[in-house]
Amino acid sequence: MTVPLEKVGEEMILNMGPQHPATHGVLRLVLQLEGEVVKRVVPMIGYLHRGIEKLCEERTYIQNLVLTDRLDYTAAMSNNLSYALAVERLCGIEVPERAQVIRVIMAELSRIAAHLLWIGTYALDIGAITPFFYCFREREKVLDMFEMISGQRITPSYICIGGVRKDITPEFLEALKSFTDTFETYILDYEALLTKNPIWLSRTRDVAVLSREEAINWGTTGPVLRASGVQFDFRKATPYCGYENYEFEIPYGTNGDCYDRYRVRMEELRQSNRIIKQAMANLPDGPILADVPYVVMPDKSDVLTDIEALIKHFKIASGAFQIPKGEVYSSIENPKGELGFYIVSDGSSRPYRMRIKSSCFVNLSTLPVMIEGRHMVADVVAAVGSIDIVLGEVDR
Amino acid sequence: MVVTINGRQFEVEQGQTILDVARANDIYIPTLCYLEKVSPIGSCGLCVVEVEGQSEPVQACSTYVEDGMVIITDSPSLFETRRKVLERILERHPLDCPVCDKAGECRLQDLVYEFGLEGRIADHRVGIPRLQEPPVTYSTPGIKYYPSRCVLCQRCVHVCMEHVGRGVLVVNEEGDKARIEPLYADNCISCGECLAVCPVGALTENVSPLKARPWQKKVVRTVCPYCGVGCVLELNVARNKVVKVTVDDTIPPNYGTLCVKGRFGFEFINSEERLKKPLLRKNGEFQEVSWEEALDFVADKLSSIKNEAGSDAIAGLASAKCTNEDNYVFQKFMRAVIGTNNVDHCARL
Repeated sequence: MTVPLEKVGEEMILNMGPQHPATHGVLRLVLQLEGEVVKRVVPMIGYLHRGIEKLCEERTYIQNLVLTDRLDYTAAMSNNLSYALAVERLCGIEVPERAQVIRVIMAELSRIAAHLLWIGTYALDIGAITPFFYCFREREKVLDMFEMISGQRITPSYICIGGVRKDITPEFLEALKSFTDTFETYILDYEALLTKNPIWLSRTRDVAVLSREEAINWGTTGPVLRASGVQFDFRKATPYCGYENYEFEIPYGTNGDCYDRYRVRMEELRQSNRIIKQAMANLPDGPILADVPYVVMPDKSDVLTDIEALIKHFKIASGAFQIPKGEVYSSIENPKGELGFYIVSDGSSRPYRMRIKSSCFVNLSTLPVMIEGRHMVADVVAAVGSIDIVLGEVDR
Repeated sequence: MVVTINGRQFEVEQGQTILDVARANDIYIPTLCYLEKVSPIGSCGLCVVEVEGQSEPVQACSTYVEDGMVIITDSPSLFETRRKVLERILERHPLDCPVCDKAGECRLQDLVYEFGLEGRIADHRVGIPRLQEPPVTYSTPGIKYYPSRCVLCQRCVHVCMEHVGRGVLVVNEEGDKARIEPLYADNCISCGECLAVCPVGALTENVSPLKARPWQKKVVRTVCPYCGVGCVLELNVARNKVVKVTVDDTIPPNYGTLCVKGRFGFEFINSEERLKKPLLRKNGEFQEVSWEEALDFVADKLSSIKNEAGSDAIAGLASAKCTNEDNYVFQKFMRAVIGTNNVDHCARL
């Protein structure tokens, strides 16, 4: 495709990507360079477009759940949660308390997993290999916990419409306890490697600054917004899943540069750990699925031994249920920002339209604002990494 | 006459049942055994309604309206009664849905889903799950009969006795062992009426090797090609093959009734033996030839036979499986071009 850039004089127009180790996926950045200074940068996306929104129109609401895992695949549980909350709001389903607490635990674990992956790969982009190994060591523990309760590491589809799929086991709680007990020390390890590191500081301080006004005007959300000085988090502003019952703080920065974004995410790791500890201490008993027989599947052991459960399972799986007509928009605080689902229902078991609002898409659009005319090619790498994009969510 | 149903008044006539009135006025009463084309069966007990002045609920399908009747079609106790009916059926129903032909368009499934929205119908800790039992011999090879899936609605028995008039089926034995049996199997004409009215997967058709779920197939309404009555039927088509024939009960001339040819005679459509190219016998063997060669050969030979032995030495046999237009052109060809009245048609044979 043609590029909307024109060469002036001795300038070069170069492609960074779509195959590039530092663009975090198949992102193509077209750079207009005068020497090493970046005059213009145009992000060109769509290389990972899979048509998820269109695919959702052809599948029932229950089948669409597995597609939502594949949006921000570093924090799949959060995507499930956002989708489930949207559908539950449309149908008026109340999720039982135990399921809500489990959902909070999973969402915060996803946040930790996503941020750990981000720290490891961002440091790798800047040139530091060691944090990568340490961060992935902890991320392995989180993924093992996901596998314990859902059988899958990256795309669990565990949080479903009406609650969560299976109850958590004592082994899971044990693993979670040992994880949260020791995680603070590991955060100190990562900080020891990076936070006061002079190379790190000179690569990220005052690089790709996004001012407070720019951040708000461009519609950024998540750590990018908070690093620019706006203390806004959906968990505090419009609490969902019982977040109003937990004590935690929203870290925010003042400068809006890459270093602040790094510090915000680092501090969010601590706060997530804090939330998980509180959730574990207050885990109520009770059912984990709402009693809504028209859309929530019966227990699998029942399905295999009882004709009534088998019939209900058949009907729900083949899409013979009905969802109330109407439209809904619901969003949550994903690790990367605001993930929102706008669903239009025509009364049948398949959505008429499902629009996914992706924070990475919006945040990525601020890249030219951060970079153009101010920085060099090496800083593009630092800037792109600090926005924390996942192309699965950008392109859908 | 005026009756009151659920607080609303309706004008009714002598000879109507409560169910007739409800259906005519869009009031929903759940049914399982009710069939419009036969007299009320009354074997399921789902359509119970409460009538003021009667101590027990009555079956709406077989109770005739009287002047001034006050009827309630829905109440918590009626709901409980209907749930017990379903519970009794479910206790002996095998766990066949994944392998049953009827799943997806099964009346029992619809009822269980609808009633189960308020909660469970049966406590599954009672009894052990029933598993699939093989089909048994039936009165015709075109239909498979799974007695374990039968809900004893007796639609098939009544349809065969009243509507078709052959009386092949009876209900044998009592209680838990009750089943439908083709006691007078010699009477069976394979018309498939029992197959068409069975609400569950007890009777399934045995002709097409390919099966499809309801959302995988397209339903095409067409006219049966076989005889001059021209019954209207619906072909269920999946993956470009006909898998089943269903009917719409409201369309003349047959109002949902078919004979064995209409019901089971669709194999020829996708048969492997259908010709795709003209074949000419050379050296004792059939060989594929082009249309020009075939037509030239036919024209030469027919003309020479007509000249040597006269027009009446040639006869033409058409087919019921062609369209009317094709058959018209064929007999026109025989009569006008060849000049003979020796034209016949496979349906007359």
